[in-house]
Amino acid sequence: MRAGASMEDLLEYGLKEFDKYGLRYGDIRFSDISTESIYVKNGAVESIKHWQSCGYGIRVIDGGWGFASSSILTRDGVLKTIERAVKIAKASSLASDMIKLEDITIHEDEYVSEYQKNPFDIELEEKLDILIEAESRVKTDESVKVSTADFKAWHFEKLFGSTEGARIKQDIIQCGGGISATATDGKDVQTRSYPNSFGGDFHSEGYEFFKNLELVENAERVGREAVELLQAKQCPSGNMDLILETSQLALQIHESCGHPTELDRVRGTEASFAGTSFMTADKLNSLKYGSKNVSIVSDATTPYGLGTFGYDDEGVKARKTDLIRDGLFVGYQSSREDAAIVGVPVSGNMRADGWENIPLVRMTNINLEPGEWTRAEMIEETKKGIIMDTIKSWSIDDKRLNFQFGTEAGYLVENGEITCLLKNPTYTGITYEFWNNCNAIAGIDEWKLHGVPNCGKGEPGQVMRVGHGCAPSRFKDVRVGVGKW
Amino acid sequence: MVTQDDLDQLVDGLFEKTVADELEIVVTSDNSALTRYANSRIHQNIARMDNGLSIRAILGKRIGSASTNSLSEDAALETLKRAETIAKHQREDPHFKGLPEMMEGKKQKSSSYVAPTANFSPEERAAAVKDIIDHASAKGVDRVYGSFQNSEQGLYVANTNGIRKIEKITKACLTVTAIADWDNDRGFGWSEACSPDVTKIDPVAVAEVAVEKGLNNIEMSSVEPGEYTVVLEPLAIKSLLMYLSFMGFSSRAVQEQRSFLNGKFGKQIMHENVNIWDDVSHEEMVGTSFDFEGVPKQRVDIIKQGVAKDVVYDSYTAGREEGKKSTGHALPMPNPSSPMTMNLIMDNGDMSTEEMVETTDKGILVTRFNYCGVVHPVKSILTGLTRDGTWLIEDGEISKPLKNLRFTQNLTDAFSNIEGIGKEQKLFSFDYYPIFVLCPALKISNFNFTGGTEF
Repeated sequence: MRAGASMEDLLEYGLKEFDKYGLRYGDIRFSDISTESIYVKNGAVESIKHWQSCGYGIRVIDGGWGFASSSILTRDGVLKTIERAVKIAKASSLASDMIKLEDITIHEDEYVSEYQKNPFDIELEEKLDILIEAESRVKTDESVKVSTADFKAWHFEKLFGSTEGARIKQDIIQCGGGISATATDGKDVQTRSYPNSFGGDFHSEGYEFFKNLELVENAERVGREAVELLQAKQCPSGNMDLILETSQLALQIHESCGHPTELDRVRGTEASFAGTSFMTADKLNSLKYGSKNVSIVSDATTPYGLGTFGYDDEGVKARKTDLIRDGLFVGYQSSREDAAIVGVPVSGNMRADGWENIPLVRMTNINLEPGEWTRAEMIEETKKGIIMDTIKSWSIDDKRLNFQFGTEAGYLVENGEITCLLKNPTYTGITYEFWNNCNAIAGIDEWKLHGVPNCGKGEPGQVMRVGHGCAPSRFKDVRVGVGKW
Repeated sequence: MVTQDDLDQLVDGLFEKTVADELEIVVTSDNSALTRYANSRIHQNIARMDNGLSIRAILGKRIGSASTNSLSEDAALETLKRAETIAKHQREDPHFKGLPEMMEGKKQKSSSYVAPTANFSPEERAAAVKDIIDHASAKGVDRVYGSFQNSEQGLYVANTNGIRKIEKITKACLTVTAIADWDNDRGFGWSEACSPDVTKIDPVAVAEVAVEKGLNNIEMSSVEPGEYTVVLEPLAIKSLLMYLSFMGFSSRAVQEQRSFLNGKFGKQIMHENVNIWDDVSHEEMVGTSFDFEGVPKQRVDIIKQGVAKDVVYDSYTAGREEGKKSTGHALPMPNPSSPMTMNLIMDNGDMSTEEMVETTDKGILVTRFNYCGVVHPVKSILTGLTRDGTWLIEDGEISKPLKNLRFTQNLTDAFSNIEGIGKEQKLFSFDYYPIFVLCPALKISNFNFTGGTEF
């Protein structure tokens, strides 16, 4: 940490200062975050960046909620930030209810994420060699106008303490990357990415994850597929079976199950910004969200998940919570406050983007449990359908009911066989109808864990890294090919 | 907040110690606060203070970048060394033509920084929220939601080519969502206000609009998807303009042949009454007078009388075209999203929203759009949903509230099908991007709704 050993001293100093105010509750959370990103594009290393951000956020209850954050790493800085947080809390009391927090087990602990090689210890040259080689191989054809290769790594060192006695130290490494090709023939533009769009795929894992992505080995295929898409048939319009590959299904889970089961949305605290949810408390344990095949969990303990940690930012130990079990809506992602108000278990989902922001209910790893099919069996047993792969555009209403997604590539399936490539594939539906039409989920052998590094929520805006595990799945009678082309 | 003298001293030290051929130092400061309320109670109340120090070190054509949020001399030196080390390991970028030279531009408007906004206290924000809650309650709406934020942000840019500039801006934004019938999940209404001057925001007046919309949005009906004439309020137009910008107003998108403007420059692509440009010096606009490279922001006419004219540049994209200069639209560099429009304006017209409704036989009035997504950038196809107040217009009158609808629409077609442009422009800001948009309401024919939702 930038301030070295004094971080612990500042934490203890701050917690002792809380005593003077007679607070009902207070916590202090330090973070020292390092980020490295490398971006290679069209034959040039367009950027290599390193960021470091260090500071602390102080959260108190004194009549109402107060939160203040600062990057001034001195006792005086801590003192002034406490004063500011308390002043804000007192102002909140003008229009606040009595705040209740659900009781939790208080921990003194340390957590270090699993990794073999720290990506920050790997020589820059080695990472550049992989990216430059991969990017050059993406450019398979003159019509590939934009070829890219990305690498990104994060290192989070965190320290949390509360007036309840919690003392938690965490050290988490995350890493990943990807490649993309954008081809144009002057009339149309098509993009293909690997292993996912918008920068690639990410895990809470070391450099070994990035290396095992085999970007170089996949580069020519990605370039070729982008070019092929230019000549591909337009996605047909109508209702038919839809098979989603895991990178697309991850986003489907994210938008249509992850967000609507966030309990703060259900309570209305995101009503003016991110929106509310159709999965209201009166539907808990009664809404048939999906078919019997569908079981979805929030699991902060999934090995290597981008939403994996030891403790959330309220000091709640990482855990697994059922959200959907055999198609029935059974649980929420919650904070201590939400859980106390609604009367549901605390799920340990409070996470903050950096030290400067207040924790919010955020996804950890929202995983669709595997089924018993194989992808090949699903295709064989499909009379007419489309396989869709890799998110390109996404849109969903503010209660998370009506969604429309576009993917990079589609593949027409006729009488159990893939017959042609399709461009501009889109599909739309209503969340619970869609999941109730899920009639096949592939098994554990095809189950894959993806990382989404750009989940936005809250005011001021926070960006979170979350995970989604799933296997290819099939949905019947889905409307595809939306809009005029 | 640190002073220019402090920063000059820090920068002098770094310039002296660097081994780089060229060096750029960008310092940002953020002192912001926000009160969020939901269910007519304050549930989140925050303040944050942070700085950013970014260093771009150039060795020949090799560029290294490093950043820290500490302004201490030790941290600055460590960051400089890191940027230089990265540059040493970098490959040459053949497209990089050097850091910008010093250029004089228009002075920042004094209206961009308003001290009462910077000093607006948590007590003042809470009192304003209480007024909103009380007003709504008096009208029979017991649940209001939203946020009131105020911020002071500083930008300092210095480079070894002689640029050394500092400015700061203030911003205040208030949003109000009224939910008139929470138990039955209906009655949503929205309003917002944004200004560099917090004293120009009247919380009760903003609340009044949201509450009225909510109360008139109870018994919602459905309409079949299809093409409708629409009256889009300024907030809805803000979303469309922002996505037009993302899909094509940047020179990078044009150079990479992924802009809907490629091959269209000099051609009529929208209605002849459409004028869209970027200009921080417009009297209603907010912003620093220079970009993150210290280049003065120029006015750029993007669409003039419906004809595609130009796009915005930073020094990197300008360097890729013969004779081009940066227009002053760089984001913190290097940056794959740069350049970007930051002060986007659409010209006003001569119709009131009421006249737009009165002249519509059958159509739909939209308050705002939610969660838009680009379906195809070159075809300028966007999808999204209506939110917080959508009404059917019949025989020149608002007849009934509608459940929200999804559109999937080619935007250049939409901006070609304009039947009326609003008299008044409204200013909006974005949380995620350093962008301000000033725009009017529009009446558009044949707007394509492709689906609906259940509320």
